[in-house]
Amino acid sequence: MSHTMAALSTGSAGHAPPTAYRRARAALAAEWIKLRSLRSMLVTPLLAVIVSIGLANLVCFNWVKKWPHLDAAHKAGFVPLDTNLNFVIIGAIFLGVLGALVVTNEYGHGLIRTTLAATPQRGLVLAAKAVVLGLVAFMVSAVICFTAFFTGQAQLSGGHLPHVSLGDPGVLGHVLGAVCYMTAVGLIGLFGAVLVRSAAAAISVVFALLFVLPALVSGLPDDIAKRDIVPYLPTNLGGSLYLSHPHHAVGVASTPIAVLATAAWVVVLGVAAAFTLRGHDA
Amino acid sequence: MSAQAGTAPRPRISLDSRLRATALSEWIKFRSIRSGPLNLLLTAAIVLLGAWLLDAQTRSGWATMPPGARASFDPIGTTFNGIQLAQLFVGALGVMTVTGEYTSGLIRGTFLATPQRAQVLAMKALVFTVVVWAWCTALSFPAFFLGQSILSSPAKHVGIGAPGALTAVFGAGLYLTCVGLLGVFIGVVVRRTPAALSALFGLVAVLPFAVNLLPSTLGSQVGEYLPSNAGEQAWHLLPGGAYMLGPWSGLSVLIAYVAVAALAAFALIRRRDA
Repeated sequence: MSHTMAALSTGSAGHAPPTAYRRARAALAAEWIKLRSLRSMLVTPLLAVIVSIGLANLVCFNWVKKWPHLDAAHKAGFVPLDTNLNFVIIGAIFLGVLGALVVTNEYGHGLIRTTLAATPQRGLVLAAKAVVLGLVAFMVSAVICFTAFFTGQAQLSGGHLPHVSLGDPGVLGHVLGAVCYMTAVGLIGLFGAVLVRSAAAAISVVFALLFVLPALVSGLPDDIAKRDIVPYLPTNLGGSLYLSHPHHAVGVASTPIAVLATAAWVVVLGVAAAFTLRGHDA
Repeated sequence: MSAQAGTAPRPRISLDSRLRATALSEWIKFRSIRSGPLNLLLTAAIVLLGAWLLDAQTRSGWATMPPGARASFDPIGTTFNGIQLAQLFVGALGVMTVTGEYTSGLIRGTFLATPQRAQVLAMKALVFTVVVWAWCTALSFPAFFLGQSILSSPAKHVGIGAPGALTAVFGAGLYLTCVGLLGVFIGVVVRRTPAALSALFGLVAVLPFAVNLLPSTLGSQVGEYLPSNAGEQAWHLLPGGAYMLGPWSGLSVLIAYVAVAALAAFALIRRRDA
């Protein structure tokens, strides 16, 4: 307490301002404590793991069961990697919700005022939040995607279906693409939540952006406007990253474009969030 | 104050006047949900804009549309497709009608004033149903006429007198009301805004995707009976899916889900502390 007081009364003797390095480390530590103690921090990733790995295995299991009854055309259209990684579209939702909750819980409880009083450098607060959540999301996604991949491919090979291994050309890239996409969705949820602040609005936005919007616009007839929008929605960009044969009614972004566009979603939302956080009272 | 034990007992309040008082207090609380008007306005904007955009796009692409797609084109289903997005907002309003009260702690005051919890929930659902049904039905008519006027010939369009058209327009309002009620009852069961919203959105928006990933006929069999897939037949003219659920049978399936959620909500609200 006395330290805080001393730091607040600027101009008084003693107490040099902390170095940028120490301040950043303290901000990271604070964000880590807050993330760790978030009630949803256990439930949401756990649900993500169970649902994702369960769904991936259910889909593969279903293919194995159906395989002897399929005709040649269906068998030729079977893509083992995409069948396995299809779950990412749903698994990513959990990370988006987790990212949103990290922010909205803090606003909901009023803790954000304490946070900003302790670290008035609001850009630093947001950066620390993004780093901590990004790392957690990356690790959770990596566990999910690699486990789902290995168990799913094991089912396919056990059923004598076409299957791939991590060493095959492009496979590792697609699995890593799935991990990066899920991490990006977590950050999109985090930055989106800074923009809207309320839990209800943030979760609605996450679901609308990731699920409903792609379904809605893909119902449009093909024309130029659609060709310019559909491939660049986060969900479809993700498909370009983790599927070897992404199929949308209209064009698919190439891998480098998809990487750049996904990064652009995160960066643009991050910059918007930084401006909002700096410009508004808490 | 007047209800102190030992003093002369108050006359029993009749059920009728208690229900009326409860309905009035539920209406005051519903009216003062901060994001309520915004949610309803967004719902209207999405349904009307959706009708305009989706039909205008179809109209401009009609000449190049293959004959098969023209034959299966549903002029009403396309007009109302914005409901897929709008349902999130109606559902969120339903969830927040309940969870907002739990978050702020107001629910304790509510139960103190009216210890008959089932009646509180019934009036809450009633007020929500009346307001949301009236609003959504009122906006599905202009959406229908707007959409059909944009889908002028040669594109396929229907008049309000066409067989099934009036049913679909009323079906749009009923569908949105049912999704909202599902939100109300899930809100009672879960009580926390993020979890309840995620559960509702998972049920109506994500589950159809998940089921779609299954290759077997199981996917389409189960898929057709999911709440949103079955219910949306109410605002389609041409039935989709293998079982051809019609508008009313589809809506009945959705209502069955709402009824199950309602049973759980009524059972839990009476048993749990607030």
